[in-house]
Amino acid sequence: MTTARFSRRNFLAGLGAVGAATALGGCVTSTGSSAGGGSATGPVTVQSNLSAPSAKAAMQALIDAFNKKGGSQASLNTVASETFRTQLPTYLTSSNPPDVMTWYAGSVARSYADKGLLLDVSDVWNGATGYSDALKQLSTDSGKQIFVPTSYYFWGLFYRKSNFAKWGVQEPTSWADFLQVCETIKSKGVTPIGLGADNSTPWVASGWFDYLNIRINGANYHRELLAGKHSFADPQVHKVFDQWKTALPHFDPKGTALSFQDATTNLLQGRTGMMLIGTFLLDTTPKEDVDDIGFFRFPVVDPSVPLAEEAPTDGFFASSHTKRTQQTLDFLKYLTTVEAQEAYLKSSSGSSLPANPAAKDAGTALITKGKEMLNKAADLTQFFNRDSSDALQPTADAALIRFIQHPEQIDSILTDWQTAAKKVWNS
Amino acid sequence: MTATLTAPAVAPPSAAGPRRRRRTLSPTLLAFVLVPLLVETLWVFWPALQGVYLSFTSWDGVSPAVMVGFGNYAELFSDPTFGRAFLDTVLWLVLFGGLSALGGLGMALLLLKDRRGVGFYRAALFTPVVFSLVATALIWQAIYQPDGLVNTILGALGLDSWQHSWLSDANTALYAVIVPALWRQIGYIMVLYLAGLKGIDPTLYEAATVDGASRWQQFTKITLPQLSSVNSVVLSVIIIDSLRSFDVVWALTRGGPYHSSELLSTYMYSTAFQSLRLGYASALAVVIFVLAFGVILTYLVRAFRDADA
Amino acid sequence: MSRRPKGPQAALKTGGYHLVAGGISVLWLLPILLVVVTSLRTFDDVAANGVGSLPHSFTLGNFAQAWIDGGEFQAMVNSLVVTIPAVIITLALGAISAFALSRYDLPFRRTVLLVMLAGNLLPPQILLVPVSKMAEMLGIYDTLGALIGVQIGFGLGFYTFVLYGFMRAIPSEIQQAAVIDGATPLQIFWRIILPLTRPALASLSALAFTWVFNDLLWSITVIRTDTKMPITSALLGLQGQYVSQWNVIAAGSVIAAIPTVAVFLRFQRHFVAGLALGAVK
Repeated sequence: MTTARFSRRNFLAGLGAVGAATALGGCVTSTGSSAGGGSATGPVTVQSNLSAPSAKAAMQALIDAFNKKGGSQASLNTVASETFRTQLPTYLTSSNPPDVMTWYAGSVARSYADKGLLLDVSDVWNGATGYSDALKQLSTDSGKQIFVPTSYYFWGLFYRKSNFAKWGVQEPTSWADFLQVCETIKSKGVTPIGLGADNSTPWVASGWFDYLNIRINGANYHRELLAGKHSFADPQVHKVFDQWKTALPHFDPKGTALSFQDATTNLLQGRTGMMLIGTFLLDTTPKEDVDDIGFFRFPVVDPSVPLAEEAPTDGFFASSHTKRTQQTLDFLKYLTTVEAQEAYLKSSSGSSLPANPAAKDAGTALITKGKEMLNKAADLTQFFNRDSSDALQPTADAALIRFIQHPEQIDSILTDWQTAAKKVWNS
Repeated sequence: MTATLTAPAVAPPSAAGPRRRRRTLSPTLLAFVLVPLLVETLWVFWPALQGVYLSFTSWDGVSPAVMVGFGNYAELFSDPTFGRAFLDTVLWLVLFGGLSALGGLGMALLLLKDRRGVGFYRAALFTPVVFSLVATALIWQAIYQPDGLVNTILGALGLDSWQHSWLSDANTALYAVIVPALWRQIGYIMVLYLAGLKGIDPTLYEAATVDGASRWQQFTKITLPQLSSVNSVVLSVIIIDSLRSFDVVWALTRGGPYHSSELLSTYMYSTAFQSLRLGYASALAVVIFVLAFGVILTYLVRAFRDADA
Repeated sequence: MSRRPKGPQAALKTGGYHLVAGGISVLWLLPILLVVVTSLRTFDDVAANGVGSLPHSFTLGNFAQAWIDGGEFQAMVNSLVVTIPAVIITLALGAISAFALSRYDLPFRRTVLLVMLAGNLLPPQILLVPVSKMAEMLGIYDTLGALIGVQIGFGLGFYTFVLYGFMRAIPSEIQQAAVIDGATPLQIFWRIILPLTRPALASLSALAFTWVFNDLLWSITVIRTDTKMPITSALLGLQGQYVSQWNVIAAGSVIAAIPTVAVFLRFQRHFVAGLALGAVK
């Protein structure tokens, strides 16, 4: 009996010991070490967030093609994009991480690289030909490349050509023209500007903020603002919202209650006139309607500001803890080839542009027009979260949705935004 | 031999006074307690201690954690979103918890007796419990959409002025989310109450009927007291689920628009996995734990005392 | 078997009962019906008209797509491989600890019970990172074993607590008689207490099955490989980064609901069979 008592008390004491908690804290926050030994055999593991059936199939086709070449081998592992996002820090700090991961270029990749989690892929870049300097710059952190872009897409105001013809409106280029088009569409009894920024896709609203900011304050100011070098309560940011207010009466009042897919449905059915969105809109457009979709560049607000465009770039990075460095580099090299990028585009929905300029894109009028727009752009931005961080995105969502619903509260919205953003920057 | 080692000293909850006898612990019983406890220690308490440790740090999930002492807890007091989430959680506990207990008991009483069709009715109420969250979110979003089912019905009834963007209006989002949460919860509470009601000795009712007790008297004098052990289970379930309520809210609103349907649990999740402030999120988790444990402890200590009295 | 109501008044009562119970059931099933309807529509129909609209198309292809392309078959197997042992082991462990704590005056038994329950009060989301790190330390990260382990650990406190309540309610005379007959604790547990706890065990196993089967949080925490993912994460995988095929997701959800509904229907006989504790007296 005494032994039983003793062990139990001992056990409870052990449970309560805070000292133990401090000691064990080390293991939860530690990052895996690359010196874990382990075998360097087996295929390169590719962790992918491209879970949509067509994209997943395209990735599989790409991997199969790589494996058929007979050199290094790779295996694909696809998880839901939401899962991927929350688990990425775990993957990267794991002692046995996936070798290659899908993700996007920009400040997110750089912040991981600064922590020593990403493999130096300069080798891949040295071998790659034809990639633009802008893309290389985007993939570089402290002088070395840490990211391999494979595709990018563009944002714009999308509309149905048949509806524009029916309403007798032309693509506007200036803000004044744009508002005029809105007036005309409204006079036909149609909501001019669609929006799909409900609680499931609130980030769509950031497209408006990004574009107005780079049109009014320029791309550099935009990036600095997102990096915490300016305040969201600054007068420059106020100007963005003043401009937005002039178009706000033309927005779909239900826009914050609809998901992006529902908003697309409204656009296709002619209940709304146009929508600021990325080319992934084509993935949710019925095939017979795709040819009727057109887009125009976000209108010019201040002609003196050089025209920058949003061109979110997708691609891959590799873990610095990989035990298969050479095979991983082989695979990434393959991804930069014309062959790989065309194979991927052929199987996917074809709504993006290959990063390698020598690779052929889908070739539709819309894609060609978008490519030209980006080629002529003075500067390229990624998107709100990609130019800042996934952590800053929710602060923007809260502020922008509140602005769309209650534009009169703009002063307190911006100070609240700044407070929330500061917490993210400081942590 | 084992029998002489062990004498059950248990008294039923209603019996008088605990009888304490000198006895030797049977190794079987010790193993019966310790093995489960060890399993839970490994998977729950050990990670939980790490969570407590994290609540004293500032950590982004990737870089080394930095000790900040009680900094995270101090920040709670000046965080308006925390205040909002706290009040919403209390409201949620009262509305969601109260209504699911009442609804679950009501449905269990209604569907207690075996009769034709009752199996179907029970299954109907239970189906939402088993339906995948992804589909639940999809369908309730469609129901609440600006031209979804709710607004269509309101329109058909001539109540156009009541039509609303239910999930995106800061004034209605939280209440709109409670409905699907109840829809998922009531069938579950019903099952617990059904099991409890089935456990009541039917001779009690027979005796009461002979004594001429009314239906209502039978309910208050027999059913409710006999349900006391199930009630403590239901209460725990409700506290656990209310304070940890996460999945439906997250799937439908993610705490939005602009934190208007934020519960402590959703705020904790977004702090941890969107803002990547795992230290602060851990402090929020500790607060949730203390709240839940506080409520349950108050109830259970009283229940234990009643049992001993 | 039960008394059939006779006469017009009784018929009216029966009618009223079915009206109320049936009405509530229909209301409860309506959202699920919407899922079923969505699962029978084509993607182009959903894309062009929205999820909430009346269907303009009919197809059974979504089920095939979810089952084959969505990898639901493998995911279903994984889910069952995790759920069945997890439920059995958790309930077994919960039952033995509840038995020892409720039927014997062990020292600190209430403290132990409270500590075990306390483990269930922690928001699980905050344990995600520590649990995945621990699974990695134990070398079982990305295995179904880790998922079974974590499901057992997290169910245990609650099941012990529930079963404790039920076992407490069993009159002590039954047990005392057995002790006089020289029964060991194991025999008392197996022959007397466990059979009397059957209704509670039946309800709990139905609930435990749904919880473990529908869990998403833990599966994405300790599993990394897509072919090892259970069905909930596979369903989530049908949602694309930008575009989700709601019709296929709906079809997948309908398939995923089948095992849990089947378990419920199978077990509801048990807690409805009226294995009243008093009847044994």
